[in-house]
Order: sequence, then C-alpha cells, then structure tokens
Amino acid sequence: MMKMKRHIMFLVLIIIASSCKPKKVEVPATLGDIDVTSTVAIGGNSFAGYSDDALHLEGQEYSIPSIILDRMEESNQFNPFTLPYLSSSSNGINLNGDSKLILGYKTDCNNETSLSPIRKAVSGNVDDLNNWVYGTDGPFFNLSIPNLKFQELNDVGLGNPANGIGNYNPWFSRIASDQANSSILSDAVALNPTFLFLSIGQDDITDFAKSGTTGTALPSSVDFFNDLQEVATAFPNTQGVISIIPNVLLTPYFNTIPYNGLTLEADQAVTINNVFNPIGISFNVGDNGFLIEDLSEPFGVRKMVEGELVLLSIPLDSVKCFGMGSIVPIPDRYILTLDEITALNQTLFQYNNEISSYAATYNYALVDATAIYLSLQSGIVYNGVSISTEFVSGGAFSMDGLNLNPIGNALFANQYIKAINDKYNARIPLAPVTNYPGVYFP
Amino acid sequence: MKTPVSHITILLSILFCLPLISLAQGYQVNLQGQAQQGMASAGTAFIQDAASVFYNPGGMSFLDKSQVIGGVTPTISNGLFTEAETGEYGRTTSPVGTPFAAYGVYKLSDSSKLSFGLGVYTPFGSTVEWEEGWAGRFAVTRLQLMSIFVQPTLSYKLTDAIGVGAGFVYSYGKVNLQKDLPLQFQNGEYGSVELDGTGSGFGFNAGIYFEPVKWLSAGFTYRSQVNMNLNKGMSTFTVPSSLEENFPSGNFTSSLPLPSIVTLGFSFKPNEKLTIALDINHVGWVAYDTLAFDYEVNTESLEDTKSPRNYENTFAFRLGAQYDFTEKTAARAGISYGISPVSNGYVTPETPDANRVSYTVGFGYAIKERLKLDASLLYTQVTRTDKNIETNLEGTFKVIAFAPGLSISYLFK
Repeated sequence: MMKMKRHIMFLVLIIIASSCKPKKVEVPATLGDIDVTSTVAIGGNSFAGYSDDALHLEGQEYSIPSIILDRMEESNQFNPFTLPYLSSSSNGINLNGDSKLILGYKTDCNNETSLSPIRKAVSGNVDDLNNWVYGTDGPFFNLSIPNLKFQELNDVGLGNPANGIGNYNPWFSRIASDQANSSILSDAVALNPTFLFLSIGQDDITDFAKSGTTGTALPSSVDFFNDLQEVATAFPNTQGVISIIPNVLLTPYFNTIPYNGLTLEADQAVTINNVFNPIGISFNVGDNGFLIEDLSEPFGVRKMVEGELVLLSIPLDSVKCFGMGSIVPIPDRYILTLDEITALNQTLFQYNNEISSYAATYNYALVDATAIYLSLQSGIVYNGVSISTEFVSGGAFSMDGLNLNPIGNALFANQYIKAINDKYNARIPLAPVTNYPGVYFP
Repeated sequence: MKTPVSHITILLSILFCLPLISLAQGYQVNLQGQAQQGMASAGTAFIQDAASVFYNPGGMSFLDKSQVIGGVTPTISNGLFTEAETGEYGRTTSPVGTPFAAYGVYKLSDSSKLSFGLGVYTPFGSTVEWEEGWAGRFAVTRLQLMSIFVQPTLSYKLTDAIGVGAGFVYSYGKVNLQKDLPLQFQNGEYGSVELDGTGSGFGFNAGIYFEPVKWLSAGFTYRSQVNMNLNKGMSTFTVPSSLEENFPSGNFTSSLPLPSIVTLGFSFKPNEKLTIALDINHVGWVAYDTLAFDYEVNTESLEDTKSPRNYENTFAFRLGAQYDFTEKTAARAGISYGISPVSNGYVTPETPDANRVSYTVGFGYAIKERLKLDASLLYTQVTRTDKNIETNLEGTFKVIAFAPGLSISYLFK
C-alpha cells in the first residue's frame, strides 16, 4: 500500500513537472525552391566583411552572406561555404597597411580628449594580405572582395601581383584559383553555382563619393549594363538574389559634420569679415556654412549651403586650430557640393534601374536596400534598441562610418532573407539583429 | 515514512518548474486565503474564516469566534517567449514566488456584534526573470515587484442579516527592475541598469454582507486604489567607463498604481453540504496608464522615461464550490475567467498578460476541534502574441503557472 502510494506520488510529480513548462512550437525552416547545391557570393565590401576601414576576422564572420547562410543552416538542408578568413589574431588589414579602426580616445589640437575612431594597432597584419589562402583553404564560395570594381569582374589576372601596384587587386590575389590566369567570374563559373548572391556597383559608388567625387569618374550606366550582361552570360541558368545599391550619402561618413559647423563669436566674425567682405562673403555671429573651394566662383571660394556634405575624412585639427573652413577654404575632396550630389544620385539611380531590370529579366530576387537606409535615417527601434545612421551612437555602422557593422549587416541580411523567402517559397528565419556585435566602447 | 526517493522527486519537480510570472491579471495576485483559493478565490459572500478581513470586511462580524489564520502559496511558473520572425526562444528563470496572507479576528464575546480584525497580505507582486541574452533583454531581464498590505479592520453586524465593515490599508512595496543596455564593453558584454526602490501608500477596504436566509447570501466590497510612490529610488548603471558620465547612477522617483477592485458576490447553499459561490470583480486598471521614471540627474543620454501602458478596466468571474463530506473535511473546486487589462500593442515581458482561465481545487481538514488545515492548488496557462509599440518586440509569450498553498487556522474559545 505504502509502495503504491509512493508510485502514485511519483507519477503525479512527473505529470506536474512535464506539464508546467510551455512547449516550444517548432516552425521548421525550409529552403523552398532554392537549389543549394552550390551557393556562390560575388560582391564588394559588405559581402567580404570589410568594415572599420579594414578586412578583419569579426567583419568576415558577420558579412551579409555569412549571416544569411547562417540562418539558412537552420533548415539543416545546407552546408555553409568556406570563407577566406584572416588569421584569428588579426588586427585587420587594409590596402594602406593599417589595422582596423576601434573606438578609443583621441586628443585634439586643443588638448581635448574625446571618443574617436583610432587604429587598433600601429600597423595591420600585412602578412595576411600577402597570403595566398586559396592554396591551403580554397576554393571559396564567397568570392567577394573589398573594393570591387564591377568592370574588373571579368579581368583575367586581376589577382596578379606581377601586374604591379595599382594594376591588380590584392584582395583577389588571396583567393584567386590562379593569380595570373583567373578572374572573379571564371573562378565563380568553375564552382558551377546553382544560387548566386550578387551585390555589384556599391563599392564603385562608395569609392567615388568618398573621394568627394574627385576620383576617376564613374563608368556610364551602359558600361554597367554590359557588365551585368557578362554576369548573366556566365551563369545562364542560375537562381539568385541581387541588391539595389543603397545610397551611400545617407551613411555617417557624409552626415556627421554639419555644413554649418563654423561657429563664430562676435570678435571672430569681425576679423573674418574684414578679410572676406571685400569679395562679397560675410559671416554672422553663431553658426555659419564652412568656407570651401569652388572654382566656379569668381574668387574660387564660397560658403557651404544647406544640403551640402562634409566628409568624415576631413582633418578635424585643421578645422579646429588652423582655420580650415574659415580662413582657409576646405579642399574639394572633403566636400560634396549640391551639383556633385545631384550627379552622384543620378548615376546611382541609373545603376539601380539596371539592377532592377536585371532582376526582372533573369528572375532573381531583388533586395530593396534603399528602404533599409531610409528607415535607419529616421531611426528604428528593434527589440527596445534604437538604431540609426548616427555615427557611433546609432549602432549600425562600423568605425569607418561607411560600412555597416554586424548589427547593420544583420538588418541588411534580413532584407535579403525576406526577398529570398518571397521569391523562392522558402521560410528562412530572420537574423536576431541584437545578438550581433555592435559598437564596442572603451 | 520518508524516503530519499520522495525527496528527490519533489526536488526534481521544483527544478523542472522554474518559476513565476504574475498569476492573475496584470501584476495582481489573487491568493489571500486557502479556503477561498480552492474555490477560484470567490469569498465575498461566503464567510468561512478570518480571511474575510480581506474578502469582505462586512461579513467578518458573522464569524462566530475569535480566530487566526496564516498561509503561504508558493507560486511556480514558467514562461517561454518565441520571437515571431527569428524563431528564437527565451525562457524565464524566475524564482518561486511566496505570496502569504495572515489574518486575525477578535470578538469580545461570541455574541458580540462588533469585531476587530487585522490582515497582513500580499495582493500585488511577482518576480519575473528571463534567461541571459534573451530577445527582450533591453526591455527587462528581471523585475521584482512586492507589496505588503497591512489592514486593521472593524466590522459591525447591523442585524442578523446585514453586516458592514471597513479597514484602513497601509501598503509597503519594493520594486527592483533590471535590464540590459545596448552599450557594449570591449569584450562584447552589454551594460545594464538596476532600478531599486521602496515605496508606500494608503487605501481602504470596505464591504457589506447580506444574508437574508440561511441558503443565500450576497456581498459587495470596494478595495480602493493604492498609489505606491517611490521617492528615493536608486539607479545603478553598469556601462563602459567612457560612458559613465552619460549615465550617472543616482536617485529617481516613480510610482505604481495598485488598482481599485469592486466585487459583487453571491453564495448559494442548495443543501446542507454544498455551497456554491460566485464573485464578479471589476478592476480599475485604467489607473496604470504610464510607467514613468524621473531621474534626478538627467544627461543627453539619460532622459526621463515615460512608457505607455494604457491598461483598461477589466472584469474577472470566479465560480467555486465546496462540499462538506463530514464536519471535519471539505473539498473544493473552482474556475475563474479573467479578462486582460493589456491592450494589443502594450504587452510587455514584465507581465505577459492575456485573458485566462484558471482552475483550482482545495481541501480542508480539521485536525482538532479548533485547529484546521486548508490546502489549495491553482493552475493556469496564458498565451499571448503581440508586437509592443514601444520596443517592437514581437512574438508569443506562453506562461504556465501552479500555485499550491497551505494554511493553518485556530479558533479561540
């Protein structure tokens, strides 16, 4: 009897214990119509994981394709591709030999110390840059490289150091199957891709914009169309996803320093006006547009007007202590004028038209990248976290102010996943954005 | 006979049942007397014991003898959150809650029309703790809410059929809220904030009891709203050193309304052994409009916060029955339905609330003539899917809760 009672008690406790914990309802991830036999990614900075003005391990691990593939893995129908990782001890490396940027303390010319992006180490891991990783770890299914120029996609020998500095892309040298004889497209074709992740044109626009549009002019939209055709010819029967080029002018790089950041006290205004009133330029007490170079003006200088952009590359000490923007005009390479902005936006618009029609013609999923940047510009709240395009505090951009950090990439990857799910009847779960690394504060 | 096996099974079941989110609507806890709990907490028109100090001060004077009762109801609950679009899961790891209630009623003589009562009980409160790194960690990682009401009460039997009573309520409360801040240290860990404070408030509890015939009675009570004001709360920020100036730890003020409850109750005795009781509660949750924190020192990064809650007034229906097998033993059962005060868009992980059905059973046994044990068990389950308008946290909360309770009462001569 006693034993019986004990058994009943045990049973009751088991029932209580098992019924008191809510059950998970598993909604299986599925890949729908996607053929994942061979997934290949071709893109630039955002696909390679270039961020904080360098290629570094964490950036690679959380590149947009890495995040998407990580979520596709939830389906258990898929093995993610190998990546051309840098060594784990890497401080990162860029083409100038610098390490990555981190948030640290910087003392300016006024001896004021504040939070600012600084280099993590005196120099980057140059060995990583010169290491032909294809030989040990290739082939790589993510063929994305930083600073991708779309006109170079089909350049045989793009990774050939023998071409001399400036005539080859060292990032491609690392991962090319044959430095002298392969191109990005030929290496991709060799992988027989069944599904392509494409992001083309973004680095071209970014590079041109960050030169203050003083660099080599952008190729025409006809050139862009032709290069997209080369991609289409190389992969005639491949599924894929392609992204609209987001507007780089919405990044912190162009929006952190205000056009009217020249704040003058009464006596300062008098001094400057004594110099500039004779040529028809006057300054007020308070906020003024910076003085910039403009060769179309009679005296080659003028004040900045609303809507014009100051680049993050501007030497701030020169502005604070040596009269740049007030007595000395800011050089064109640190500025985007209204005309330059209009021209850039026009090219962007044309490129994006080509991308949209490419997606329609070849039946690719199309990612609306513009929407993401626009929503970040006004700011979003994700699981209680405010995320915006603000530099540092906005939490979405890396320390270079141009490239997204992992949180930003995850937001972007989700846009890809939505487009893919839609197009290919898949159910890939979105990435939990706030689980990804953001800005590290000292 | 105790054996190690039974200890282990009990321990195991406790480990499995990792704990609590508030048992009833909002942060209200309806666990103030074991005999009543067994009957879905219907007790406004069924005067059984000294818990009438809480359930109906008007009926208190209908108790025959001076008496005391004390009980505790360990509440065990498990929450699960499933994020809508990512499919990520998070569970609660809350500790066992321990709402308690103790009452005493004193009569000068058994025939005295006037009786004095004192109640000490915990009508609001809960501790919710979510596992580390869960999706809503920037909304809350842990919330402990505790309130103790002390209620001295007078009750007077106007006639053999009508009693009135009222008590003054002093409440003391404690709030401790912790959440992560989206500010990462160099090692990737997130910063956090802890808001800790105590407060107090005043209110009253009044009721009328009407028993025209032996087989039918009715009751009406009004428990006033109590505003808990936290005047010297302490905020402690754990943030990277470069941001310490932006997030100064220091004092804050806040307040939390504990809503008014109007109850109409009936009790019906179809025969000598069976009693059926019904309570209808109207809860003034509309008072919980905003959760505001006012920091003494504000910075550009640390502004006062006002989170909309917009709770709505609600009803709860409680139906219970008691069957007296013998003079010494009684069995009870009950079912209640509570409507959630939380509108769509306002569900938060502190109180993931929904309309809910609760089931209860209970048992009473007189060990000796004057010494009585009462036990009860409550079970409820909640499912709510929502997207919060403030945090955009979107997903489904599921909570399963058990509350087994035990009390002991003693009747004086």
